Amino acid sequence: MPEPTTRRQFLARAAILAAAAPTLGSFIAACSKSGQPSSSAPPTLTIAAPDHPVKWDIPADNKPIADGLAPEKGATLQLYNYADYLSPDAVKSFEEKYNTKVQISTFNDTDEALTKIRGGNVDYDLYFPSYDQISKLVSGGLARPINHSYIPNIKNVWPSFTNPWYDQEWRFSAPNFIYTTGIGWRNDQVPENIGALPNPYDSLWDPKYKGKTAIIDDWHTAMAMVLLRAGKTDVNTSSDADLKLIGDQLNALVAATSPKVTITMYSDLPAGQIGLCQMWSGDIINSALSYMPEGVSPDVLRYWFPADGKGLVDNDLLIMLRSGKNPVLAHLFINHLLDPDVAQQNFAQTGYQPPQNSINPESLVSSGFIPPNLAAAVVKPEYFDAGYRLLELDPANDAAWHNVWRAFKAGGGA
Amino acid sequence: MKGPVAWWNDPWRPPRFLVAITAGYLAWSLLPVLIAVAYSFNNGRSRTTWQGFSFRWYWGDNSLSVWHNAALHTALLQTIKLGVIATLITVPLGTLFAIGIDRWRGRLPAGANFLMLLSFVLPEVLLAVALLFVITTVAVPVQLGTTAQVIGLVTFQVSYPAVLVRARLATIGPQYEEAAMDLGASPLGALRRIILPMLIPAIFASTVLVFADVIDDFVLVRYLSGNAATEPVSVKIYNTARAAPTPALNALATLLLLAALTAVVVGFLVYRYMTRADTTTKDRGIGAFAGEV
Amino acid sequence: MAVPVVSAPSRAAPPPRERRSRLWAALAAPGIIWLAAFFIFPLYVVLCIVFGQVDPIFRTPVPVWNPLQWDPTQFTYVLTHIVGPHGVFGPAILRTFIFVLVASCVCLLIAFPVAYYVARLSGRRKGLLLALLIAPFWISYMMRMFAWVNLLQDDGLFNKVLRIGGLFDPRVNWLTGQPVVVILGLVYGYVPYMILPLYAGLDRLSQPMLEASRDLGADRISSFWRVTLPLCRPTIVAAVLLTCLPMLGDYFTSDMLSASPKTAMVGNLINDSVQSPGQTGQAGAFVMLVFLAALLPMLYYIRVTSRRDEVAA
Repeated sequence: MPEPTTRRQFLARAAILAAAAPTLGSFIAACSKSGQPSSSAPPTLTIAAPDHPVKWDIPADNKPIADGLAPEKGATLQLYNYADYLSPDAVKSFEEKYNTKVQISTFNDTDEALTKIRGGNVDYDLYFPSYDQISKLVSGGLARPINHSYIPNIKNVWPSFTNPWYDQEWRFSAPNFIYTTGIGWRNDQVPENIGALPNPYDSLWDPKYKGKTAIIDDWHTAMAMVLLRAGKTDVNTSSDADLKLIGDQLNALVAATSPKVTITMYSDLPAGQIGLCQMWSGDIINSALSYMPEGVSPDVLRYWFPADGKGLVDNDLLIMLRSGKNPVLAHLFINHLLDPDVAQQNFAQTGYQPPQNSINPESLVSSGFIPPNLAAAVVKPEYFDAGYRLLELDPANDAAWHNVWRAFKAGGGA
Repeated sequence: MKGPVAWWNDPWRPPRFLVAITAGYLAWSLLPVLIAVAYSFNNGRSRTTWQGFSFRWYWGDNSLSVWHNAALHTALLQTIKLGVIATLITVPLGTLFAIGIDRWRGRLPAGANFLMLLSFVLPEVLLAVALLFVITTVAVPVQLGTTAQVIGLVTFQVSYPAVLVRARLATIGPQYEEAAMDLGASPLGALRRIILPMLIPAIFASTVLVFADVIDDFVLVRYLSGNAATEPVSVKIYNTARAAPTPALNALATLLLLAALTAVVVGFLVYRYMTRADTTTKDRGIGAFAGEV
Repeated sequence: MAVPVVSAPSRAAPPPRERRSRLWAALAAPGIIWLAAFFIFPLYVVLCIVFGQVDPIFRTPVPVWNPLQWDPTQFTYVLTHIVGPHGVFGPAILRTFIFVLVASCVCLLIAFPVAYYVARLSGRRKGLLLALLIAPFWISYMMRMFAWVNLLQDDGLFNKVLRIGGLFDPRVNWLTGQPVVVILGLVYGYVPYMILPLYAGLDRLSQPMLEASRDLGADRISSFWRVTLPLCRPTIVAAVLLTCLPMLGDYFTSDMLSASPKTAMVGNLINDSVQSPGQTGQAGAFVMLVFLAALLPMLYYIRVTSRRDEVAA
C-alpha cells in the first residue's frame, strides 16, 4: 500500500503546481486561437433602424468577387438555415440547373448559429438570418459583400428592398421572406374568436387554455409580444422597468397556462398537440398547405394579426458568409431564389411569403392559394409602415434581454 | 389437485412476484420500440395511426424514404463511420491502459484509475461542452466534425474496455503469468502469449458494447458536429422529431437497430468460436459474453 | 523474492521488478496521455472560460489562460443567482436533484427485483432474459425516447388505450410540461444502466450463505432483509452511482418529452447557455457545479471501497 502523503510532500507539490500554472498558461496562450477574422471591429455596434438607415462600408480586405466568374465545379453549396424553411424543389432545381450539390445544415435559433459561424470552424456559404444580426455579421467581417451583377432577379422584388434601411444599396443582403407574428389557433379546440377579444394576446394567459398553448422559442419575439400585450410599443426597449415587467409577465404565463416553448407550431398545431399559440404568419399557412393530417380540414385554422398593421412585422435575409468556399454558387443561389417561379414554389412549400412583385397580396385569397379563413396571414405592404420591427440591440441591452429570457427558460421564479 | 391456498403457499413455488415484475419490465422496456419499428412499415405519413403495410419509408417513397433521401444516408454512414473508428481506437487504448494500471503500483496509476472511473460516470454533457470549448478557443489542429467527435467518443468510452479487462484480469489471477515466467518467458512474452488470449472474451465484449454505445451516442456528437454531413442518426432523429417527422425516421432507427444487433450477434458467435477450448470461462453463454465473469 | 545474482555488474540491467514496472507504465502511457490531453486539459479550458472575459461586441467568450488573471465575475454571477432575490437558477437546480433522486429510487425499485430474478432464479432462461435486458443498449436512446413521444401524443396509443378502458376521457396533454412524464422518461432511459451492474453483483453472491440463513430458520423476508441486502450493498451503491450521476447532465429527455420551462434541469441550463452570446461563461460555471456534484460522491465511493479493500487485505 503506498504511504500516505506527508504534509511536506503535499506542500512541495502544491508549490510546484502553483509556480507552473502561469508558465503553462502563457504557453497555452501562445497556442490559443487569435480568434476570429477582422479584429478591427469598432468598439460600438452601429445599430440600424428604419429612421436611422445604415450603409455598410465594404472594407478593403473584403471586396466582392469579380464579375463573370464561372460557378465552382464539383462543389457542394453549404446552406445554413432553419429546418423546413426552404423548398426542397427549389433546391433540387438549382442542383440540376448548375450540376452541383447543395447541403443544408440547420440551426434552432440564430444566436446559436452566429456563435457557430463566429467560432470559425464551419464553412457555410449562405446564411438565413434576420436583420437583427446584420451589424454583427458585417462589422465582425463574417459577411461577404454582394456583386450585384450576378443577381439580376432583384428586379422581381419589391423596390424598397434594393435600398433597405438596414443595408442601403443592398451591399450585403438580399431579402428572403416577409412575415408577421400574430396568434394562431384551431377552432375545434379553441372555439372562441381570439381576434375579437379586446386584447387577443391575453388569451395566451387565460387559464382555461392551460396545457394547450405555445409561444415561439425566440427571445426577442416572445418578449416583444409581452410588451405589446401590455400596450407598450417600443419592442427594443432598454428600460429596466420594462424588462422587469416582461420577466414577471412570463412567470405569470407559466403559472397560468404552462405553454410549450418551441418553433414547431407548424406541425404541432395541425397535429392537435396545441390549440392556441403565438405564431408566424408563414407557419400557419404552412400548416394549412402541408401539415394537416388526413381527415382534418384546414378550415379549423385561424390567424389573427392587428388589421391596422400595428404588430410585429419583419423580413429576413439571405447573407453570404465569408468563410464559404463557393461564392459564385452562393450568388447564383440567391438569384435562383429571387426568380418568380422559384419564389412561388418556395411560398407553397414553406408557407412564407416572398416580397415578389408577381405575388399580389390582394389576390392570394381570391385565387384560392390561401384559404379564406387565413386571410389575416397575408402580409401587406402597408404593414411595413405601421408595424414594429425587432431590431438589433446593443450588447448591454442584448445581455439584459437574454438574462430575462434565460430566467424564464430555467423555469425560475415562483 | 392442491387447493388455491396450498398453491399460494407452496414452498417450491416459482417466485411469481418477481416473474411478474420482470415480465412487466421487459414489456414496458421493449414494447414502445417494437411499436416504433412496426410503424416504420406504415403506409401513410402518420406515426400513430396504422394505414397499411408497405416499405414506403425504406425505399418506396421517391423523396422521403431512407433509400432516396441523401441526408438520411449521410446520417447513417456517419453513424457507422463513427462507430467503427471510435471502437478501433478505444478498445486497444482501454485494454492496454487496464493491463498497465492493474500491475503498476503507485500513486500515478491510482490517480489515472480514478480519472478513468470518473470519465465513466460524469454526465456526457460536461465532456461535450469542455471539448467544444477546447476546439473553439484553442488553436488545435482539429475542427468540429468527425475528428472531434471521435476524440470525444473515445475519451468517453475508454473506461468500458478498461473496466471489463480489469475485472477479467482479477479473475484470471497472477498464477498463469508467474508460471510462464518461471518457465523462462519475459514479462512481455508472458503477456502476449498467455494473458492476451485469455482476455479475448473481455476484449470482445467491450468491443461490442463500445460499438453499440457509440452508434447511439447523442450529446457528444451533437456538440462536436460541424455541418450537416457530420450529423449522425441520433442527431437527425432529435432534430426532426421536434419538427415534422415521418415514419422514415422510424425506418432509419430500425436500420440502426439491425446494424447494432448484427454487430452483437457476430461478436457473440466469434466469441463462442474463440473460447471453445478455454477453460477459464465458467460458461460460454451470454453471461460471460456480457463481461460478467 | 530472491533473484540469484550471478557475477553481473550492478549497472547492467535494472532489477526485474523495476523493469516490469517500466513495462506496465509503458502500456498504460497512451491511455494516460489521452486522458490528460482530452479530459483534464478540457476541464482546465472550462475553468479558463468561466474565469475569463467576454468579447464586448459579439459577447463570445475569451478565455484567460493565466490563473493569476482570472476574473470571477461570471462565476459569482451564477452563484448569486441561485438563491436569494435573483434566484433564477435555484429552482432548476433543485428540480434536477429532485428528479434525479426520484428517478433513481424508482429505477432501483424496478431494477433490483428484475436483476435478482434473472441472476439467481431464472435457471434455464437466464441467457435469453439477459439478452433481452441488454437489448435496450443496442437500441438508440433517441429512438426509445422518440417511441415514447409517439405513444404519448394526444392522438397516440397511450391516450387511445386510456379512452378504450372506457369511462375516462383523459384530456391530459402528456407532452406539455408534466414532471411525472419527464421523471418516467429518465427512468425508462437509465434503468438498463442500473440492471446490468446489479445483475453482475447479485450473480456473485454466494448461494450457500443465503441458504444458510433459511436453514437457520429465517423466513424469506427476514432472510432477504438481514442477509441478502447487506451483502449486496456495495453493488447497489455502485449501480446507483452509475445511474444517477449521468442523469445529472440529462437535458434531451426534458426537451423531447416536455419542451416546457417547467421541467428544465441543469442540463437544460447548460445547453441553452453554451452557445448563447454572453452566457457561455455561465454555462461553464454550471458545468463546474455539476462536475463537483458528481465528483464528491465518486471520491467518497472510492474512499469507502479502498478502505474496504484494505480491511479485506
